[in-house]
Amino acid sequence: MSAAGDDQSPRYLDAHLHLLDRQVLDVHGVPIAVVDDLELSEIPAGQEIPPDTSPPVITALLSGPTLATRIFGGRPPESRMVRTPWVAIREIGVVIKLSVGRDTQDLFWTERWVRDHVIGRIPGGRHTPKNEESQQAQGNQRGGS
Amino acid sequence: MIITELLGARVYGPDFLGFVSDVRFRLDTESISQPAQLYGIIVSPHARSSSLGFERSGVRSPWPIAALVRWRHRGSFLARWGDIERIDVKRIQLREGFERGSPELP
Repeated sequence: MSAAGDDQSPRYLDAHLHLLDRQVLDVHGVPIAVVDDLELSEIPAGQEIPPDTSPPVITALLSGPTLATRIFGGRPPESRMVRTPWVAIREIGVVIKLSVGRDTQDLFWTERWVRDHVIGRIPGGRHTPKNEESQQAQGNQRGGS
Repeated sequence: MIITELLGARVYGPDFLGFVSDVRFRLDTESISQPAQLYGIIVSPHARSSSLGFERSGVRSPWPIAALVRWRHRGSFLARWGDIERIDVKRIQLREGFERGSPELP
């Protein structure tokens, strides 16, 4: 379903059915994460909720190292979970498409750090090999025609 | 709060009613460029797990799986946000006189 949709009828999303465990693609269609959890705006926990309280909203999709905690229980520390703000979502369907690139996501800070501080210092590590460049150019021409 | 704190929580009215098997959100239009508001919780009397959409969307095939999932989630209902009185750790209390909505997706 696209953000550009003009249907004014309400849409319902079930967390398990439509959001959790969905793959997240960046603006270029590159897979960058899986939705492991959803962050909600503040809920008055542990106290009575007045009847006229406005409902909480989803503020972000959370991704992180949840494999071990799914097997053994518990949940990873909050600091290990990476947030993708709800406003960055462009489309929700079989996959969740974002309107931002992967470089803007905190999820890839380790990759960026290794690229800038390790790979980039290896001779030849700051540019694409010439063969790959020519193959990419050919691929773009085929895709564009 | 995060959603996994709600999923699987025990739900009480006057007595024990079941577990939160899913959480439903509502967007005012088809567009997702707006906040998704919590609409209600799906309460399943017998199972904490998701019904994978079988119970809620009228999907009937493959029939052995659909029948099994529908049986596991028999008696499920939707409790709307306005009927939630209190949320504690893995425990949700509904208000007196709460309504049991249909768990099927509209």
